[in-house]
Amino acid sequence: MKKFLPSLVVAAVSVALTGCLQSEQQDEKVRINKNPYPSTYQALPLQTTLIKNATVLTGTGTRMDNADVLMVDGKINKIGNNLSADGAVEIDAKGKWITPGIIDVHSHLGVYPSPSVESHSDGNEMSSPNTSEVWAEHSVWPQDPGFEAARAGGITTLQILPGSANLFGGRGVTLRNVPSHTMQGMKFPDAPYGLKMACGENPKRVYGSRKVLPSTRMGNMAGYRMAWADATEYKRAWEKYDADYAAGKNPSAPERDIELDTLKGVLDGEILIHNHCYKAEEMAMMIDLGKEFNYNSGTFHHAIEAYKIADTLAENGNCAAMWPDWWGFKMEAYDMVHENVAIVDAVKNSCAVVHSDSADTIQRLNQEAGKVMYRANDNGFDITPELAITWITANAAKSLGLAEKTGSLESGKNADVVIWNQNPFSVYAQAEQVFVDGAKVYDRFDEKYQAKSDFLLGQR
Amino acid sequence: MKHLKLFTSSLIALALASSSASFAESFAITNATVHTVTEQGVLENATVVVENGKVVAINPATITADTIIDAEGKILTPGFIGAMNQLGLVEVGAVSRSRDASDKKADITFDASLAFNPRSTVIPYSRKGGITSNVVAPRGGEDMFKGQTFVADLSGEFDSVRVSNHNVVIDLGAQSKGSRALGLQNLQAKLEDATKALAKAKKQSKAAKDKKEPKEPSRDELVINALLSGEKALVAYADRASDLLTLLKLKAEFSLDLVLVGAADAVLVADNIAQAKVPVVMAALDNLPGSFDSLHSSLENAAKLTQAGVMVALAVNGDTHNLYQLRFHAGNAIANGLSREAALASVTANVAEAFNLDSGKIAVGKTADLVLWSADPFELSTQVSQLWISGKAYSTDSRQDALRDRYTTKSDMPRAYIK
Repeated sequence: MKKFLPSLVVAAVSVALTGCLQSEQQDEKVRINKNPYPSTYQALPLQTTLIKNATVLTGTGTRMDNADVLMVDGKINKIGNNLSADGAVEIDAKGKWITPGIIDVHSHLGVYPSPSVESHSDGNEMSSPNTSEVWAEHSVWPQDPGFEAARAGGITTLQILPGSANLFGGRGVTLRNVPSHTMQGMKFPDAPYGLKMACGENPKRVYGSRKVLPSTRMGNMAGYRMAWADATEYKRAWEKYDADYAAGKNPSAPERDIELDTLKGVLDGEILIHNHCYKAEEMAMMIDLGKEFNYNSGTFHHAIEAYKIADTLAENGNCAAMWPDWWGFKMEAYDMVHENVAIVDAVKNSCAVVHSDSADTIQRLNQEAGKVMYRANDNGFDITPELAITWITANAAKSLGLAEKTGSLESGKNADVVIWNQNPFSVYAQAEQVFVDGAKVYDRFDEKYQAKSDFLLGQR
Repeated sequence: MKHLKLFTSSLIALALASSSASFAESFAITNATVHTVTEQGVLENATVVVENGKVVAINPATITADTIIDAEGKILTPGFIGAMNQLGLVEVGAVSRSRDASDKKADITFDASLAFNPRSTVIPYSRKGGITSNVVAPRGGEDMFKGQTFVADLSGEFDSVRVSNHNVVIDLGAQSKGSRALGLQNLQAKLEDATKALAKAKKQSKAAKDKKEPKEPSRDELVINALLSGEKALVAYADRASDLLTLLKLKAEFSLDLVLVGAADAVLVADNIAQAKVPVVMAALDNLPGSFDSLHSSLENAAKLTQAGVMVALAVNGDTHNLYQLRFHAGNAIANGLSREAALASVTANVAEAFNLDSGKIAVGKTADLVLWSADPFELSTQVSQLWISGKAYSTDSRQDALRDRYTTKSDMPRAYIK
């Protein structure tokens, strides 16, 4: 006890001093830069464009026939009949269909690019079950030929995620699908970050083989809970620092932790969870986990068994990003049904999304959604194209926290637009022209708008 | 609020299935648009008569059959044929004890048909894709020879293996450890040695003075000999153009019946392949440069190869659980330049011809593997209306339907009680 007396005296003296002054001498406030790798994306050259006389699926659940879409200054200006605009480039789209740009919430383009070689394997930082400190954007190879192939399939926005080897795989990044030689040149300005999590077989198989936690599903849960507990303390420490500083004190900033920065971002509601999770009971637990630590459990990816808990998902505001029909490669993927997306979508306040998780099917997300629609309609559902399109546009935008900016053809939103040669839900449908922020980025019939990756240039 | 009309569509499908004729009875499908995939082409308002599992008549003057099925103008095609997958050998990929397609010790004699499970849930599910039979390929082991293909129909019956120890699978091309040259060299050497041995044995048997019996060839020598005689086809995985040319050279030198699988960069040597009359089994949707051996992958390759005179058969790459997608692969190939006629052949007659199967066409004398479609077989919205394997009707209901029905039925009780 005696040892402490002098410091108590010192403390008492300084407290007395601060009590007298307005504020004590403060060190510069420690702020964490939340956007240290900012987007340098610029829209490609664009002009006012009027697409005329097409069947338009707006992404808001509406279908308009013989309608026009006017894009001005990179935004959707108007949708209607018999529009006109001075100086606009006019595109006669008679017989064609127009949709919002297609959005894929689950891609590994750039981090597991083509060619698939040892040195390109950058999607899973399999060195620890919690790698919240890594950011997928730092692995993105913008020269992946898969980006152009996706562009030809109408993809205008995509989220690049780390893989699912870890409990916490790291941050994802949302990109505009435009050619660029830097990642920042593709980065969607001001898009929220995502944090990849994974349930189930993958993490416990990867780390179980190394005889470390997690080796079981209960190990998975413990792993998440310990991480969120640490993050909660980190958040508390920073909030205390901010509050003390605001009160005029001169607190010491908490020790910077790059891993906990990301987890804190989730707790602060700034970073969205994207959770690879297949099974009904596991999704139910992840929802409760979110409630335990006071964060939004976000979007479930793959969600093979989402149909079993469709009500729960809607009640808790979770999106579910699903395939039409991948199955059988793991036990957790055994209970696939073709109508999964439709069953989830049928519940009020639901958020059903179709994703790819594949450099191949990202090129045909329209067909992936189409398969669900037709199989569901064969079995008692009544889904229209104007509804099905939302699974790969508006709902996908919602899952990425971008609903205000893109995902539907509405005045003021980004002019992300695809002109299809016919109803996009046909196996024969092809994207003819693709626009990002009102600029043409792909044209099936004009080589000027067909990008070729550096890697493919000069190959024999 | 979306209304769910429960069950009705599946009940109709079931009704159709249960009205099937049994093997011995005969039935006639009338008023069908029959795509024969033969010189007969497409027959409108046609009749196909089936008896004892075979097509016995097309457009007969009089129809004699126990049952008449009015196709109401629908399209009738040969059953689609899957190829180069592990149907019936793998139930769940990640479950090691449900995988029987590979073994470290597998060699050229590996007969995976002994592990074929007709009760696999993948089989009824794949029928939804109009697939009636399938060429199963073993994955083998470390040896470049992976074993022998076998043919199974998708009836799910215990006697559904139609041919076993059929053709020989070899995997050549890029190696993770070592050089691909060694594999090609070994193959050349094996064929040369076997040729010499056969010539020697022939000489010995002719020289009657020496009463000593010629040595019996070993099991794997017998297989090599069958390759040399053309009795078995050499089914070779290879992608790079130079590797494909090397295989064409071997084919010419040893008069092999060669089938190229994958052949991602085949477009570069399409004329050579066409001239050699070698079929190519390829994945229509593989269009990304996965490796330095496949830089010319494109959605247009199926069409380009066909236009160059190559006989193209389509196969679904990757997980066998997606075999169901085959018809959509064909549809996409059509969207990218393949003719409808060639697309249908690429999933029926061409597969049969490549692997020496007596199916894949609608013709008198052929096995009655038939599919009646609700509309265009390649379109997303189409489904199988009815499907016959060896003249017997099979439902396309699968475990997936049971799960869907369980979870879309209203009930006070836990779902487990809904069966």
